[in-house]
Amino acid sequence: MADVLKLGIVLMLVAVIAAGSLGFVNSLTEPLIAQQKEKAKLEAMESVAVSIVGAGVPVTFDSLSVPGLANPYAQSDAVLSVVGVFSEGHKRGYVFIAYGRGYSSTIQTMVACGLNGEITASEILYQQETPGLGANVSDPDRFLVRFTGRNTQSLFLTADGGDIDAITGSTITSRAVTLSVRRGMEAMAAAGLFQEGGQSR
Amino acid sequence: MSLTREFTKGIYKENPVFRLALGMCPFLAVTSSVENALGMGVAAGFVLICSNFLVALLRSVIPSKVRIPCYIVIIATFVTLVDLIMNAYLPDLHRSLGIFIPLIVVNCIILGRAEGFANRNTVPAALADALGMGVGFTFAMVVMATFREILGSGTWLGINLLGSPYSNQPILIAILAPGAFILMGFILGFFNMIDNRRKGGAL
Amino acid sequence: MNPFLLPTILASTSGTPDSGFSFGALMAIIIGAIFINNFVLSRFLGICPFLGVSKQLDSAVGMGAAVIFVMALATLGSWVVYHLLLVPLGITYLRTIAFIIIIASLVQLVEMILQKFSPALYQALGIFLPLITTNCAILGVAVLNIDEKFGLGYSLVHAVAAGIGFTLALVLMAGLRERLDQAPVPRSLRGLPIAFLVAGAMSIAFLGFAGLGG
Repeated sequence: MADVLKLGIVLMLVAVIAAGSLGFVNSLTEPLIAQQKEKAKLEAMESVAVSIVGAGVPVTFDSLSVPGLANPYAQSDAVLSVVGVFSEGHKRGYVFIAYGRGYSSTIQTMVACGLNGEITASEILYQQETPGLGANVSDPDRFLVRFTGRNTQSLFLTADGGDIDAITGSTITSRAVTLSVRRGMEAMAAAGLFQEGGQSR
Repeated sequence: MSLTREFTKGIYKENPVFRLALGMCPFLAVTSSVENALGMGVAAGFVLICSNFLVALLRSVIPSKVRIPCYIVIIATFVTLVDLIMNAYLPDLHRSLGIFIPLIVVNCIILGRAEGFANRNTVPAALADALGMGVGFTFAMVVMATFREILGSGTWLGINLLGSPYSNQPILIAILAPGAFILMGFILGFFNMIDNRRKGGAL
Repeated sequence: MNPFLLPTILASTSGTPDSGFSFGALMAIIIGAIFINNFVLSRFLGICPFLGVSKQLDSAVGMGAAVIFVMALATLGSWVVYHLLLVPLGITYLRTIAFIIIIASLVQLVEMILQKFSPALYQALGIFLPLITTNCAILGVAVLNIDEKFGLGYSLVHAVAAGIGFTLALVLMAGLRERLDQAPVPRSLRGLPIAFLVAGAMSIAFLGFAGLGG
């Protein structure tokens, strides 16, 4: 009995010391990690927002918590977060992140669109697709450049009846990005964020 | 055995990847670029050194019956440490290595050396062994990554070596999954060939 | 001001043709885990047992079954512990430790069960049974379920499918290796090298599945 107790105590001690030291390290690194994520997001947002307001124009962001925003990925409580782009006090457009399940990763695309619901710029934030094939989606000239100027009616791949050419050999990746962006735009349209004939530049 | 012997055996004679066939999963997965290989090698090496150190230090304190769970917790703690530190200070590398960072905890090399060596040798010997195995592992991965990166993207550590005509149409399979298997097969065959020559037999 | 305050998408799967808990999403996960992203031949998880146990067909099948079983249970345990314990307490950094302890305990359990109910299989698997603990595939699938933000249902499906994919690769390899024993392989390549080359060929074949689903 004393034997088992001793074993148990040793295990407990090891576990407690381990958890304690990790808790300490975590308290040091957690703020750093969160800070970096925010910084990366902000940088990406600023770079796509340039397409809405023009280069060199100071821009501010304001988070829109839109209630009842249609959830394109309905499974659990999910919300599409949209950020309004403001310059000189006027709302000029929106920026949001679209998540699409690609071949081997969930691809994050940051999209900037104007008040009229047309995409002005997009950028891949994260992907872990096949190098040399799907990973080429990160290169803006290979794929994302075809999104500019499109709205929810025209965001379809040639393979799905539209006229956007997928990257050769990576239909799954291309489709994931296109679908996720379109779904996001549809959700925003359903929430009434777009106005007909609005100025995007 | 002298300390230097403990160290050098991990590099060639008992190289964990090429001789002991341990640590295959990260070896094949992260060697698509030399930068990833170096990152993983250093991370795994760090965990190996720390865990060998602690296991050797506590070898008379930890009762034999619960030694494996204790070793696992110790190793997992250092792996989590590496995970957190990498996420905070080297986020790009952390993202490239992905799930293989937490998978360092099941890297057979680390548990293997803890159970097979560190728990019955002195601290200096365990440290030398860990250092040798870590260097050997990193060395093996860099060799493999060199082949794969040059063939598969025309670069080495990101430096374009073969010029743009090559990097536009490289031998893509080298950085994809099959390339890892095939190259590993040939590398192991090469080492066998060296051994057979030494023994004077047929190739 | 902090835009994107809400953690954006917590969906189980996204970007598939149908949203929500649908057959389409389910099939995508199953086909994905078994063929398109086969755990052994694509993701490089579970290589050690893949090379070690694939020399004979029956031990391959037995190992595969054991792995599927442990994967399912480990996924259940790890998902529950992560979402119902670590997340609410804010100690998600203890994930690696918690998962590996769960897996180690489960393998111990499986060992005891096998020893009692199927001693033949227990003997056949030998040293490889405790080695399931260090099988990257099991910890890998547990971590992947969390990273891909699957719900419990999808996680379990993913785990079983991954196990089936692992078993498939193992069984195919075993069948080939039994024949390799009689083939005229050059001496340097005998044993592990030719096994790797064969795995490479299989990997190329599985790469062809990339076109599945579009």
